[in-house]
Amino acid sequence: MKPQYFSIGRYGRLIYIPTDRFKSELLSLSFVVPLTADTAQKNAMLIALSRRGTVSYPTQTALNRHLDGLYSTAISTSNRRLGEMQQITMTADFLGARFVGGGRGLLPEVVSLLHELLCCPLTDGEGCYQAAYVAGEKQVLRDAIRAAINNPRGYALTKARELLCAGEPYALSLIGEEKTVNALTPAALTARHRALLSEIAPLFCYVGATPPEAVCALLESRFATVGAPAASFVTDVKAHEGATRYGEEEMPISQGKLVLGFRTDVGATHSLAPATVLLNEIYGGSPASKLFMNVREKLGLCYHCSSAYQMQKGIMMANCGIKLSNRSVAEEAMQGEFEAVRRGHISKTEMEAAALSTVSAYRSAFDNPAALARFYIARAHAGVDEGIEQWRERLAAVTREQVVEAAQHFTLGAVFFLKGTDTEEGLE
Amino acid sequence: MIENFSSALLGERYTVKHHESGVDIYVFPKKMTTAYALFATNFGAVDSALDERGQQPLPHGIAHFLEHKLFAAPDGSDAFERFSEYGADANAYTSHTRTVYLFSTTDRFADSFGELIDFVTHPYFTDENVAREQGIIAEEIRMCRDNPYDACYYNMLGGLYHNHSVKIDICGSLESIATITPAVLYRAYEAFYHPCNMVLIVCGDVTPEEVFALADEHLPRSAPKRETPRYTVAEPRTVHAARVTGTGQVAKPLFMIGVKDPDIPDEPRARLYKDAAMAVLGEMLFSESGELYSALFDEGLISPGLSAEYALTRDFAFYQLAGEADQPETVFGRVMNYLAACREKGLSREDFERARRVEYAEFIKSFDSTEEIANTLLSFAVEGVDIFSYADVLQGLRFEDVERFLREVFDPSHVTLSVIYPKE
Repeated sequence: MKPQYFSIGRYGRLIYIPTDRFKSELLSLSFVVPLTADTAQKNAMLIALSRRGTVSYPTQTALNRHLDGLYSTAISTSNRRLGEMQQITMTADFLGARFVGGGRGLLPEVVSLLHELLCCPLTDGEGCYQAAYVAGEKQVLRDAIRAAINNPRGYALTKARELLCAGEPYALSLIGEEKTVNALTPAALTARHRALLSEIAPLFCYVGATPPEAVCALLESRFATVGAPAASFVTDVKAHEGATRYGEEEMPISQGKLVLGFRTDVGATHSLAPATVLLNEIYGGSPASKLFMNVREKLGLCYHCSSAYQMQKGIMMANCGIKLSNRSVAEEAMQGEFEAVRRGHISKTEMEAAALSTVSAYRSAFDNPAALARFYIARAHAGVDEGIEQWRERLAAVTREQVVEAAQHFTLGAVFFLKGTDTEEGLE
Repeated sequence: MIENFSSALLGERYTVKHHESGVDIYVFPKKMTTAYALFATNFGAVDSALDERGQQPLPHGIAHFLEHKLFAAPDGSDAFERFSEYGADANAYTSHTRTVYLFSTTDRFADSFGELIDFVTHPYFTDENVAREQGIIAEEIRMCRDNPYDACYYNMLGGLYHNHSVKIDICGSLESIATITPAVLYRAYEAFYHPCNMVLIVCGDVTPEEVFALADEHLPRSAPKRETPRYTVAEPRTVHAARVTGTGQVAKPLFMIGVKDPDIPDEPRARLYKDAAMAVLGEMLFSESGELYSALFDEGLISPGLSAEYALTRDFAFYQLAGEADQPETVFGRVMNYLAACREKGLSREDFERARRVEYAEFIKSFDSTEEIANTLLSFAVEGVDIFSYADVLQGLRFEDVERFLREVFDPSHVTLSVIYPKE
């Protein structure tokens, strides 16, 4: 499953991962563009509009029926942050050739479809996006922006990120603000679509058993002239300076959400990156972590208490759900557990467990085409030339001293509390 | 006794051993990096209304509480710690009908598998560890209470069912978990964690022989057969309430249309057939390729995504259709009119073939993940049906039967609409 890399047309690249392990195949098309307030929302709209209708499949129903006809081929889209970039990916998951009548396989149809979705949106007589589709998607977008409150934990994490990275592209919403939705006209979106096609360097990833020459030929036939030279990958990885920022909001919910946002100057290309991954694992990345075992199990303060490290940005967010009266004790306990790591209070068992767990997690990517693709796509966009095996070896070689050293690079940059205002009852 | 099953279509096979202890062990060899194992008992939230004599009520949430507390060991440690030492990722969940303990690992399978059996078969409850768990589960209950989707779901079940305990929250309530003591936990454990009521499933790069040998080391060699008490309560065919509404932290109303299905086939194979037919029917009626979804979405009546699901067990069955809409009553009216029109004019054979092809492809793709295989195998194991037979069932599905289920299941008098409106 060692990946091979190929050029596609003038600007495209293909990550080819050969395997006959799966009954399905995967082909994704991904690109990154700078994350800006002016373009992020429009880019998100373009992806949504591509599913509304294309030249060959002018309605959503026609497109979905076509996918059903391709043995339930699924096309998913994702819109993520990768450093200060916006990463957009369209992924097709489809049945392998040996399960499809005729033996030709579905790959040719899938390649055509990805091209259609990216390059051939349905337009009106003036070459603009269909007004009705734009109006419909604007409402969907407004709803999605408002729906942030449906998930209090996600809402609190968003607020903490905005506080921690205030003024940086990373703090921007990937779907934008409600106040700018009205300005999304068919003409503006059409212009953005044209601009996008002249900015992006398509990155393809294929996981399956079709020979690489055949995959390349199919992609060349559709994408030879699509795209532009790749934009430079940008990320601003730095330690927090100044005092910790505090934020609080109220919401009519029964459980408060506490988020601690840490920053470090250790990003994906830093030599301490593997040690920082292990640090997160020891601190709050697993059910054997300090947050889980001590804040949840020993103190019984919460049901969920965990942390996650965003390597491309150098931030680590720890969060838990608590009742109001436990806010101070929980914050103190979560900070205390981090201090314990910083002071080197890491047992041999914790260290070994964290190494095993992270190495195992990356090994398990070999069982999941989407996980494999995600790993290699993110690294390719960021210009990191390292395979899963090499990465695992570096994780396995991390020492306790390196974890402690990585901990010295962290500072607590922000604390956000979403205060539940519904009446407490029951077990007090 | 050992049985072997295989599928030429999928190129897969698995082996079942009816272990002397009473536990059925399923081994599905799969050349994957990750091995996945689960140990399940047929004890879920619906069983919380009776004790070992089928009479005295156990507190609601008892199955879920047991699931949390079984990880504790007498030395004060936690099974999570040991799984972690082996590099395994462990977890557990409780559903309406079962409790499942599981792990996945890429290394040291034997150690993790032994630990799985050992911790599940060695309960250890004290006043102190139960009291601490009450605090943890109270926070889980608060978290779920803040989840508008959970609220909408349980309101729907409360509308569908008069008496059946499927309508009770799997976690229980703050009040019910406060009554749980070590004695209550031991009583529930004795009643429902008997080996005859349990199943072990492994999927990964293992052989049946090595798994059976490991099981021999960790399971008792024999256990007296015992009947597990089962929940039996009279449940009328009608719904309890046609409308249930509430408010929650949502930007836009959430709705769930529940359809109670009181006609549950007695035989497992008949249930499988109905389950397959309902999957195809649901795809025909409610998928994003369908007429109903397109109309509702194009008119701006619903947000993207309409989830449709059929739940069929031995003693309850319901269909649920969920989404978000500014005017849920209007959407409800459109859905009901659409179903009436379908019943009136019949279904399309072309749609039937499309939906069957979709189900066929999804079934094949599900054999790409050890986790998905193990969990699907569990559902079939509980029913005593071969997982591979699903492809044949799909192949043999009759269009006329799907039309019949449309008429029988989607009876307008069996429908509840649950809505969570935004708070003022």
